[in-house]
Amino acid sequence: MNAPQQGFKERADAELKNAVLKIAIDRTTGNAERKRAVAVAAFPEFQAARARGRAIKDHVIAHLDHYLEMFERNATAAGATVHWASDDAEARAIITRICLEADAKLVTRAKSMLGEEIGLPHALADAGIERVETDLAEHIIQLAGERPSHIVWPAMHRTREQVAILFKEAHHPPPAADDPATMVQSARRELRAKFLGADVGISGANFLVADTGATCTVTNEGNAELTTTPPRIHIVTAGIEKLVPSTAHAFALLRLLVRSATGGEMTQYTTFHCGPKRPGDADGPEEMHIVLVDNGRTRMLADEFRPMLRCIRCGACMNHCVVYRQIGGHAYGGTYPGPMGAVLTPVLDGLAQSRDLPHACTMNGRCAEVCPVEIPLPTLLRAWRTRSWRERLEPRSVRAALGLWAMAARRPWLYRLGSRIGVRALRLFGRRGWIGSLPLVGGWTAYRDLPRPSGRTFMEQYRAGQAGRAGQTGREARK
Amino acid sequence: MSARDRILAAIRAARPAPLPPAEAIAAEAAALLDAPESVRPRPVEAVLAAEFVRKASALGTSFDHLPDRAAIPLAVKRYLDTHGLPPALALQPAPALAALDWTDIDTHDAVAPDQTAALGLALWGIAETGSLVIHSGADAPILLSFLPLHHIVVLEERSLLPHLEDYAARMAGQPQPRNAILITGPSGTTDIEGSYVRGAHGPGFLHILMIGG
Repeated sequence: MNAPQQGFKERADAELKNAVLKIAIDRTTGNAERKRAVAVAAFPEFQAARARGRAIKDHVIAHLDHYLEMFERNATAAGATVHWASDDAEARAIITRICLEADAKLVTRAKSMLGEEIGLPHALADAGIERVETDLAEHIIQLAGERPSHIVWPAMHRTREQVAILFKEAHHPPPAADDPATMVQSARRELRAKFLGADVGISGANFLVADTGATCTVTNEGNAELTTTPPRIHIVTAGIEKLVPSTAHAFALLRLLVRSATGGEMTQYTTFHCGPKRPGDADGPEEMHIVLVDNGRTRMLADEFRPMLRCIRCGACMNHCVVYRQIGGHAYGGTYPGPMGAVLTPVLDGLAQSRDLPHACTMNGRCAEVCPVEIPLPTLLRAWRTRSWRERLEPRSVRAALGLWAMAARRPWLYRLGSRIGVRALRLFGRRGWIGSLPLVGGWTAYRDLPRPSGRTFMEQYRAGQAGRAGQTGREARK
Repeated sequence: MSARDRILAAIRAARPAPLPPAEAIAAEAAALLDAPESVRPRPVEAVLAAEFVRKASALGTSFDHLPDRAAIPLAVKRYLDTHGLPPALALQPAPALAALDWTDIDTHDAVAPDQTAALGLALWGIAETGSLVIHSGADAPILLSFLPLHHIVVLEERSLLPHLEDYAARMAGQPQPRNAILITGPSGTTDIEGSYVRGAHGPGFLHILMIGG
C-alpha cells in the first residue's frame, strides 16, 4: 500500500539537494528540539515518569487481549459499535461500507496517522466520497496532493510562501497576505462550512480507555471536536496498541506525549469520546463506530519488534535524528518517517521493499535517548539489518564485501596483513591529515573526509609500545 | 474465523504463559498509579487558585475574579466592551446562567457558525495544567465551546482540583458523558513553519470568570 515508487537512495539524494526543504525542516525540528528540552528540564520527575510510562505500555502489551475485550465491552455498553480489522484492506472496507450505507457525500477527517497507514484517503476517493482534512497541516498537504512528512507536523516540509500559493488558489476569498496568522484565519473561514455540513466525521485515537470504553484525541486546533460533533456518524480508527487501563493511565502517558511532541505541558483540547449522543444531549453524532486495526501489530507482539508497540507517536525521535533532518520525511517512502518509521515500515510494507531504511541510521542513539517510552530504536534497527542479511536481501556488493571481511576476520594473520597494507596504502590518498576522496567509496567521501591513517596499525604500535615498556621495566629491575 | 477471533488468537499465541486472573491484572494496573507525586510536576504556588491562574495565564487565558454569580452579566459586558464586541452572546442553556439578569446583553441559546462570543460553565479546573473540564449533556452543547471566537467560561474556585489524577478519580465508576473535554488555553496551531498562531479552528480567546474564593 505504502511501498515507495522509486528507491530510497534516489529520493534521499533528491531531497539532499533541496535547499528550501532544509530550511523548512530546520525551522520546525529546531523549534521542537529546543522546546522539548525546556519542558523536560522544567519537569525533574521526567525520568521517573518515563519509566512509569514504559511500564504502563508494557503492562498493556502483555495483557492486550484482556484490555481489548474490556474496551469492546465498555464501548459497546456506551452505545458504540466496535469493528475489528486484521489488515489495512479490511479496515478500508469497513469504513467505506459505513460511509456508503449512510449515503455520505462529505466526510471530515481529523488527523490520524493510522488513517494514513491504512490508506483511508484513497479509499474514500475511490468510493466517490468527498474528504476534507480539517487539521491545518493535513489541509495543506491535501491541497498539495502530498503525504505527511512528519507525524506531528505533516506539512513541515512546506515554507509559508509555498502554503500561500496553495491557499490563494483554493480558498474563496483567497487570504489577503502570506503571514501565518492571515493564512490560519483563511483556513478557519474556508473549513467552517465543511465541519457543519459533513455526513461523517472520522478521527483517530491517541488512547483507547479500557475501563470506560472511551477514545481519546488530543489536538491544539479544536478540529477533532468540530469533526466529531456535528455529523450524524463518528468513526474512530485506532491501532490495537493504543489501549490504556484507565483514564488515569492515559494522563500519565499524556504528560510524556505532549512534552516530547511539542514541548508543551498539555494539548489545548484533550477529549474523551464515549459512545454516541445520549438521549436528550444538545449535540453529538447518532452513531459511533470504532475500528480496531491490527495490520502487523500482533506479528510484532511475537517477535523482537515488540517494544515498538510502546510507541505513542510523539515524533521526538525524528526531531532529534540527524538523518531525518537532512532528508525529511518523504524520502523514507512509508507512512511513518524517521527512526520509528524505519522500524515500522518494514513491518507494514515488507523488508524487501524497505531494507534501505534500517541502514539509513548513524546509530548515534539520540532517538532512544529522547524516546518517552524508552524504545531501543537503534537495537531494533540493527535487528532489521540482521534479518535483512539472514533473508539474503542485502545486495551482492554488500554480501561480497562483508564475506571478504568475515574471511579475513576469521584468520588473524590475514587480517593483520591486510590492515598493514591498508593503512600504508590509504596514506597515498591524503595530504595534510585528511583524505578527501577515495575510489569505490565516492558516495561516502562526497560528504565526509577521512582522517589520514598514521601509517602503522594499532597492533604494530601496541607491540612497539610493549617492547619499549619491557625494556624499561628490565632496566628498572636492574637498578 | 472473524478478524476479531484472528486478532485475539494471535495475541494469545504470542504469550508464553496463560493470562493471569482479572484481579491480578487489575492489581498490577493499580500499582502503576502508585506514588503519583513521583511522576508528575510539583506546583509552584501553595494556593490552588494561584497555581491554576499561573498555569492558565501562561497559555494566554485571561481572568476576571468575581465575588458571586450575580456579577457575571456585568463582567461579560465589560469583556465585550473591552474587545469592542457587540453586546450579543450565545449562552449555554443551563438554569444557573439563564437565571441571571441579562438586561444589557442580547443572549440566545443557539450558537452560530460565526459566533463572536459564548458563555459556558466549567465543571472543574485542574491546577496542574490550567485546564477547564466540560462535559456534554442536555444543557451543555459541545459546539458552544468550539464555534465562537471568544469563549468565556465560568469556573467556581471551589471546583479546582490539584492534578489530572484528581479528575480521573472523580469520574472513576461514574456514568461517562459522550464528550469529556479538558480545555487548556485558546485554540492554536504551529502547522505553518512552527510559528504559533491563536484561533485555529476553536476560540482564539479564552476568558475565565472565577467565582468566589
